[in-house]
Amino acid sequence: MIKGLLLLLVMQVGGALLQQLWLPMLPGPVIGLLLLLVLLLVLGRIPQCLEQASSALFQYLPLLLAVPATGILLGGEVLLAQLPAISVGLLLSLLFCIPLCGWMMQRLIAAETDDD
Amino acid sequence: MMTDPLVQVIHSSVIAIALTLAAFLSAVWLYRRSGWLVSQPVLVTMLIIIGGIRLLGLDYQAYREAVVPISWLLGPATVALAVPLYRNVRRIRQALWPVMLTLLVGGVAIVALTLLFARWLGADVPVLMTLATKSVTMPIAMPLAEQLGGIAALAAVLVMLTGVAGTAMLPPLLSLCGVRHPAARGMAYGMNAHAVGTARALEEGDECGAFAALAMGALGALTAVLLPMAFLLWNVLVG
Repeated sequence: MIKGLLLLLVMQVGGALLQQLWLPMLPGPVIGLLLLLVLLLVLGRIPQCLEQASSALFQYLPLLLAVPATGILLGGEVLLAQLPAISVGLLLSLLFCIPLCGWMMQRLIAAETDDD
Repeated sequence: MMTDPLVQVIHSSVIAIALTLAAFLSAVWLYRRSGWLVSQPVLVTMLIIIGGIRLLGLDYQAYREAVVPISWLLGPATVALAVPLYRNVRRIRQALWPVMLTLLVGGVAIVALTLLFARWLGADVPVLMTLATKSVTMPIAMPLAEQLGGIAALAAVLVMLTGVAGTAMLPPLLSLCGVRHPAARGMAYGMNAHAVGTARALEEGDECGAFAALAMGALGALTAVLLPMAFLLWNVLVG
């Protein structure tokens, strides 16, 4: 568990380092995610300690996300002032993109099976 | 009037952490009891914490500093998302081209259409920068919004709204358009409604759920890499 957490932190530090040096546009933890993915691909398996640490963290993910989400206390007025534009924009784009994604994937899979 | 010792205890970091944990436990309890999609633990935990902060008269900045022992774990949790993504690598390889093409075209359409509609309806730039991240899972969306000049807290709320609204709209819309393949339905779930959609996709079956998790993770990583670059390019070309 602690070993797994340490591994995650090492990847996060690596991500933060890369961000400072070359990739200022990417969040450090996201670079860490990609680093860990590369490591797992090289290893070809998921180490036990990492499995434990990640499932423990995911169990409390809503808690970890809720804390920064409370920052809406500071941005609430922006949301309320532009609520019509935000919500209508959101719903309209869902209305178009949901069928697009599903339809496209279905067509592409069908095309790929026809080739074989 | 409250006495000074009482005020000191209320404003201690122990109270802030206890409030946060209690809010989370209540939200999880409510979610299990009701099973409503709208009673998402993140949303309810956030609302209870805000209620508590208001009720106890805490200073918001002081609250955030007090709960750092909890909030720093979000970093390693984000890194850990590589684990479920790795689990789906084999499935990605099987349908590599359909997945990549759908991710690229669908991902661009999601961001472009959202920005277009919101701009047309009069949203301003910080809100637009935040909206651009709305289909990405929250641990990626929040830092990303901040990086782009948006508002991280607003990103959390928009991501949540998208998840709930998208999950409500997905099943009828997909059936209406004749999308029946589980992998295709899964991709649509994961790309449009991230974690909430993935939870719903898992109810439809294993293949649907796996493609939803894959779509959510891959779209998240792709957006995190391409969106900042797209904005940089846009600024160079326009400004």
